[in-house]
Amino acid sequence: MFSRIFNKVHLFTISIFGILVSACSRDDLNVRRSTLDPKGPVAQMQFDVFMDTVWLVVILFALVGGLLVYAVIKFRARPGQDARPKAEKGHGNPLIEIGLITASIGALVFIAIPTLNAIWYTDDVPAEAIPTSKLSAWYPQLDENGKENYSKELAGDVLEIDVIGKQWWFRFEYPQLGLTSDAKHTVPNEIVIPRGKAVRLNLRSEDVIHSFWLPKIAGKVDLMPGRKNKMWIQGDQAGHYYGQCAEFCGDSHAYMLFRCNVVEPEEFAKWVKEQKKEAAPVEPNSKAEKGKALFAAKTCAMCHNISGHFGAGNFGPDLTHIASRRSLAGAWMDNRERKAQLILETQTKNTESTMPVDPAVLKANLIKWIGSSGTSHGIDGKPSKDVKPGNRMHYYKMFNVVGLNESQQKFTAEELDCLAEYLLTLK
Amino acid sequence: MSHDTHHAPVASKLELAPERSDLGLIRPDRSTGWADWLTTVDHKKIGIMYGAFAMLFFLVGGVEALAIRTQLARPDNDFVTARMYNQLFTMHGTTMIFLGVMPLSAAFFNFLVPLQIGARDVAFPRLNAFSLWTFVAGALVLNSSWLFEFGHLSGWFNNFDWYKSLVYTDFAPANGWFSYAPLSGTFGQANAALQAPRFTGVGTDFWIIGLQILGVASLAASFNFICTIINMRAKGMTMMRLPVFTWMTLVTSILIILAFPAITVALIELMFDRQFGANFFNPSAGGQPILWQHLFWIFGHPEVYILVLPAMGIVSEVLPTFSGKSLFGYPIIVFSGAVIGFLGFAVWSHHMFTTGLGAVPTAAFALLTMAIAVPTGVKIFNWLGTLWGGRIRFTPPMVLSLGFIWMFMCGGFSGVMHSAAPADAQQQDSYFVIAHFHYVLLGGVLLGLMSGLYFWFPKIFGRMPNAPIAYIASGLVILGFNLAFGPMHYLGLAGQPRRTHTYHEGNGWETWNYVATIGAFILGIGIFLAFANLVWTAFKGKKCSPDPWDGRTLEWSLPSPVPEYNFARSPIIATRDAYNEDKYGEKKIGYENDGGEAGIHMPSQSWMPLVAGFGFLMIGIGMPLIAMGVPHAGWVVISGLSVMFLGILLWALEGPGGYMLKTPTSSSPAPVTANTSSY
Repeated sequence: MFSRIFNKVHLFTISIFGILVSACSRDDLNVRRSTLDPKGPVAQMQFDVFMDTVWLVVILFALVGGLLVYAVIKFRARPGQDARPKAEKGHGNPLIEIGLITASIGALVFIAIPTLNAIWYTDDVPAEAIPTSKLSAWYPQLDENGKENYSKELAGDVLEIDVIGKQWWFRFEYPQLGLTSDAKHTVPNEIVIPRGKAVRLNLRSEDVIHSFWLPKIAGKVDLMPGRKNKMWIQGDQAGHYYGQCAEFCGDSHAYMLFRCNVVEPEEFAKWVKEQKKEAAPVEPNSKAEKGKALFAAKTCAMCHNISGHFGAGNFGPDLTHIASRRSLAGAWMDNRERKAQLILETQTKNTESTMPVDPAVLKANLIKWIGSSGTSHGIDGKPSKDVKPGNRMHYYKMFNVVGLNESQQKFTAEELDCLAEYLLTLK
Repeated sequence: MSHDTHHAPVASKLELAPERSDLGLIRPDRSTGWADWLTTVDHKKIGIMYGAFAMLFFLVGGVEALAIRTQLARPDNDFVTARMYNQLFTMHGTTMIFLGVMPLSAAFFNFLVPLQIGARDVAFPRLNAFSLWTFVAGALVLNSSWLFEFGHLSGWFNNFDWYKSLVYTDFAPANGWFSYAPLSGTFGQANAALQAPRFTGVGTDFWIIGLQILGVASLAASFNFICTIINMRAKGMTMMRLPVFTWMTLVTSILIILAFPAITVALIELMFDRQFGANFFNPSAGGQPILWQHLFWIFGHPEVYILVLPAMGIVSEVLPTFSGKSLFGYPIIVFSGAVIGFLGFAVWSHHMFTTGLGAVPTAAFALLTMAIAVPTGVKIFNWLGTLWGGRIRFTPPMVLSLGFIWMFMCGGFSGVMHSAAPADAQQQDSYFVIAHFHYVLLGGVLLGLMSGLYFWFPKIFGRMPNAPIAYIASGLVILGFNLAFGPMHYLGLAGQPRRTHTYHEGNGWETWNYVATIGAFILGIGIFLAFANLVWTAFKGKKCSPDPWDGRTLEWSLPSPVPEYNFARSPIIATRDAYNEDKYGEKKIGYENDGGEAGIHMPSQSWMPLVAGFGFLMIGIGMPLIAMGVPHAGWVVISGLSVMFLGILLWALEGPGGYMLKTPTSSSPAPVTANTSSY
């Protein structure tokens, strides 16, 4: 009796697949980090290869699965039959075997050709993308004197960005445009690229292995310590994109995200100019001025650079323009008004559209982030949950720095408020 | 030596006079109860113990999996901490692969191979016991890390000096099952005490030494099975008459012997990096982190086939039995298994497509990966050919085997998708990969192994598992599994990275993560039900005939449970599917005229394999204690080494021993009982 019911287990499995597939709507394809919604040539090429494999697999699944269902129904033991089939003998049929093997190889050639094509296409900036992507071809003049932002020898090159991975954040440098560690101008966690131009990324790591994954623009390439990797990307539609480290890199791997702004080339040049500005002086006798003093007293300045104010640190993210960025703490915390952002995405049907930074949200994030980081910290001595467990802020034990002690790491609510007010001035 | 002191044949070992070994110690031959199980060298008892431990660790790994899914059910959840989550997925992967699937396969190897080839035991019975106890030692070492983690979280160690000086306090491993260096290794320069700074705590040391010990167990067992299959076959059992399961055991054993040295070397190098200041993988001292990945995956990819080939062997036995036909394309199935084993060593870098290999190596490994799909597809075609024209009986093992074909086929298809390297750049380390390998390893391997359990359980215990519960459990497993892992294909394509303990709302992942968690719990209930049914059957199940399924291979010709000497008279084989031919065909099984007055020679039991295994346990606990900085921990390791060497030395010196058992009075072969079950 049971066999009657349960020989349908396998039909049942197929119907589950059907339900799962049909339950996906078009909106599901356009989520923030969808690989099915490519917005650049690299992701597009990877998506095309993926779709080739999907078609092959769907056809094979229908064929083999169909035969399996047919065989299971047709050849089920029925009451009143001979107990044993007549075709007991039969150790195979060489013609069928060879035919099926040949057909399988043919099916694989169908995906092998686009695969090989795409491997070379995604490996480095292809020749056809270079002419329009040379700096001389698109980098706009910044002022009436005709002064450009890069040296003449680089005019024939495409834009290169160094991507450096650390536990647990990304640092971006633009060596051709003077945004480097040496020049005290680096860009943490939000990479900005010109729309429609090929960009070469040089990938490095300063501790463990990380991986650069920006699903709508390109698949991932690892950041290996002691080794130089490269990839190229291009964004064809302006907007705010979401990326993440995709190689397990320790306690807070889940919190190692980044953002990418694809902007028009003119805007990109303006952004570079903006990044090179030093921080403005703080208003005297304000909370911000107190905060600036605390930034030194609490040893923040040992690791963080703020051009124009502090210059000693380069271990942590550069904070010169922290208040202009839409995310905080390795892009885990969002500095935009959450509900307004979600409504905007729904209305525009585009996850790349973005609200500006909301200073109130940013301030709350700063207080939460700084006040709870490290192993033995909390506001007013009350322990609070780590935003990013194991993060290097206050984690002085690891570095054995002489003169650092826990009392320097404690904050009162008032101190935190002043520190946040100071950081809010760094636009 | 002691062979000339043989007793006259006895009817039961309990009648033996106590015999002394060459060392003058009394052999534990007459022991009963737990002492009998601890000292046994009987491949059937060892197989049962392998199976029991494997099922236990399946449940441990399953609980870890459910904790993972509970954490991921909702965005921004804090059911477990980030570190605990990392420890859970590390131990889940390691447990399922090394303590679940591999020992459960080993249980089948142990129990079935001698029966299928017509032998009285494996080639080296005491080495077999050594493999078992070394495996248990490795499993205890790995899982004892949870005990230390628990102690750390409960504050047991707070007053110890060594604890206060620890920089990292993860006591259970938290590196993932492939523990990529340098996260699992060191950075910077080693100090005068040869200690370099590390990224992780002693959990990694537990993982390294635990895996190393498990490797010893696997290697010893594999040599044993290769010797057994090559040398101990009954007369007439030519290689091309071997049951397919035995063939797959042979291929798997050869894979283990070729693949494990790579991980052994890698683990030793990593251990030297961490504990003795070597710099194999330390980039700041000129080491190469990518070397770890090459060494790990040249083991790790064949490991996938080590896991899947035994399940394929089981399915290749179950399908012909319940189709009433011989296996379609036997030689092709056997050769494709061997080709998979061979090609399995040529595709390891497809795990590393995103590490910047360069275009040419990426292309080469992409094409080789596509090529390995051909022999795998061939197996599915031949299984289909086996069903074609048969009389399919939907017994519980058959339902599970058909489930295996479906799920494995889906997993194979997503595998082909990964072989397209550019598409893999988007899928690698995303939930799409999680879906892929769970379809292969859970939907494939676990269903295959469960099918084997339900198929051979009547032979092992002489009792039939409850059929309605088996059907319900199979249905729950297949339903829950698809509900848990089907949506993960979508989640991966929607950009959810694996090994992240939480995610924000707004990425579009909420619904399907919730569905996946519900599926995981249904799956958990199904597997628990299936296992509980088996455990209950082992003690209280309904007795059944020796050949309840109308079996085709030699083991079904024996009484259930199988007597300790297996074959009263050694069989002489004339054809493939020997027992089926014996029942229905012309070519009957012949029997040799051994046994008789002289009796059957049985090997002596021994304590020494257990002693050597205990030595491994001491080494395994001692090495992490050294890494913790516990004073005098080095002595634990040195004593462990001594116990291990002493165990092996005494085992070598005690002499083979053995005694003679009388053949049963009715020494003619068991009467043919072709009664089929009521399914």
